[in-house]
Amino acid sequence: MKRLSIIFLLSFALSLFSTPLFAADTFDLSIPLPLTGSNAKFGEMEKNSYEIAAEEINAKGGVKGKKIILTFEDSQGKPDISRSVAEKLIDVKKQPIIIGEYSSSCSKAIAAVAEERKTPYLVVTGAADDITRQNYKYVFRLNPSSAYYSTGLISFFKQVVKPKTIAILYESSDFGTSGADDMEKQAGSFGAKVVLKEKYEKGAVDFKPILSQVKAKRPDVIYMVSYVMDASLLMKQIKELRIDAKLYAGGAAGFAIPEFIDNAKDAAEYVVTSTLWSPQVKYTGAKEFAEKYKTKYGDYPSYHGAEAYSALYVLKDALERAKNWTPNDIRDALAKTDIMTAFGPVKFEDKDGFQQQNFMDTLVLQVINGKHETIWPEKYASAKYVYPIPRWRDRR
Amino acid sequence: MNAVQVEVLLQTLISGILLGGLYALIGIGMTLIMGVMKIINLAHGELMMVGMYVAYVLFTFFHIDPYLAVFFAAPFLFFLGVLIQKFLITPVLKVDSILPENQVILTVGIGMVLANVVTMIFKSDYLSTPVDYATKAWYLTDYWRDAPIELSLSFAWSVSFLFAIFITIALWFFLSRTDMGKSIRATAQDNDAALLMGVNVGRMRMITFGLGSALVGAAGCLFIPMYYLYPSLGGQFTLIAFVITILGGLGSTVGAIIGGLILGVFESLTATYIGMGWAPVGRFAIFVAALVFLPGGVASLLRRQRLGK
Repeated sequence: MKRLSIIFLLSFALSLFSTPLFAADTFDLSIPLPLTGSNAKFGEMEKNSYEIAAEEINAKGGVKGKKIILTFEDSQGKPDISRSVAEKLIDVKKQPIIIGEYSSSCSKAIAAVAEERKTPYLVVTGAADDITRQNYKYVFRLNPSSAYYSTGLISFFKQVVKPKTIAILYESSDFGTSGADDMEKQAGSFGAKVVLKEKYEKGAVDFKPILSQVKAKRPDVIYMVSYVMDASLLMKQIKELRIDAKLYAGGAAGFAIPEFIDNAKDAAEYVVTSTLWSPQVKYTGAKEFAEKYKTKYGDYPSYHGAEAYSALYVLKDALERAKNWTPNDIRDALAKTDIMTAFGPVKFEDKDGFQQQNFMDTLVLQVINGKHETIWPEKYASAKYVYPIPRWRDRR
Repeated sequence: MNAVQVEVLLQTLISGILLGGLYALIGIGMTLIMGVMKIINLAHGELMMVGMYVAYVLFTFFHIDPYLAVFFAAPFLFFLGVLIQKFLITPVLKVDSILPENQVILTVGIGMVLANVVTMIFKSDYLSTPVDYATKAWYLTDYWRDAPIELSLSFAWSVSFLFAIFITIALWFFLSRTDMGKSIRATAQDNDAALLMGVNVGRMRMITFGLGSALVGAAGCLFIPMYYLYPSLGGQFTLIAFVITILGGLGSTVGAIIGGLILGVFESLTATYIGMGWAPVGRFAIFVAALVFLPGGVASLLRRQRLGK
């Protein structure tokens, strides 16, 4: 009897201490990301960026006094795995909000689960249009949808290049298809005719057959939506075939990251690409984040990094405003978001058939002397654009 | 047909033949193993991937050109193949099991292990060996100023193609002119008869598996100047090798060469005239067509020709 009461007392005392010590001081957040598989490059960059943001937030006292503890779930870039990860986080871990994932297909899978379980989901990089066009109440998107990726590029076309014809090559994924369709739709707005629109299977070795078709059509602009390795293979083989278009343009993703230049080397020169962000852009905190990332991981981050970094600040802001940390309160707080981040202004709006979508200006980069420079809009430009570009035969 | 269409067709054929030469080299390794051991080696693409990583390591850390890496990767893959045969496949061959082709299933497992070991060491990043001559090419108009059409011939692709031809000739010489080559062919034709004639069949199997691995490892090195690498690329090339093996006629080296060229040209033509997204469909169409209309593959055609004479 005596022993029992001692045990009882001890456990009571322990429980008194343990609650404030372990439970209340932290906010655990698991983020699904492709850490292995073919999208691991981007997954890794986003993971690093989330960690930088969490460090900064925690150093300044966390969110309402709680430290954010990040863990990462590897989705391997496969929609079925990200779906089950999301189910686990909501049903088992009772996490009140989900953020993260990289590709459109995976984000779409999570969005469906989140809506069904009435848990808010903040899409960070998945860009396919239909993610925020399904009248979902609980899905928010930080990055512009792919229909808006190319707004900067299109204004560059309208004012500088004025192409008459355009050829579109794209990867047969959600992102590629969506980007290519949007460009096809908008080609009329700058008076260009689509002379060829062709998709390819990711992992293709030889693009020359399709490129020789492109060459025969002599388009003014070749617009490509690809991930990194295909992007450099395409440019290398375009150089090999000496296809002289007035401009080679990429739709963000693979064309906008430093690896593109490392792999395509001189074939990358003068290629323009739309992008959402660059380290030189004049948003508060952008440069600091880019420099911090560079000193820590050796290279500048692409827009994917900035999106992830800012996503955590959006979350922090919403958590601070939410009454209780329940899915519904966090959802209401997210809907009223209106803050400035390193990635740009963030505000979730219902517009043009989109719901809870963040709209923003996009930029155009051009590879000049082996470096990505911001060339458009001119108010953000870090270098003057090079146009017209020299023909392959005349280079060097 | 006007000049532009001729240009597109010729350029497509050039790409197709260059690609086909490399496909042939991938296919030969599988068909050789198939002929001698009567099993399909489904770890073939993974062995190629290992060869590519050998070339990558040599290029990145020792600045050795991928084409020279062939001479390192091929012996390395040879020993890897010998070890796999000796310590994994031979023991399984001896065991009675409920599954008839358990060695084939074993090769699937070997492929998975290889892919995952490489993932552990190099992570699953895309890697590449950015060589200086990657985009170098010869142009028709540089040599013939007034040519009505412009054709280009890629330097890297051509060198790889020549290497593939050279390796194939060396293999043919080895198989038809040396004692060991003859023993391998004897084992392929009739296992028991070869055994009775005093051929060390067990050893021949080891050497064949090693040789098959070395060939596909070399093919990996030849691919790398114009491609990139990641741990899970094996499956795609196992499939290609499999299609070529069926198309060429199981176990026939000449058949594999012709099969590789047919596949390469066919894929390029599909990509140009139907659409690039259709190239994999074309690959399987030709696979099914070969099974239905030409069950013995190209090899059976060759044989018929010879008997007819």
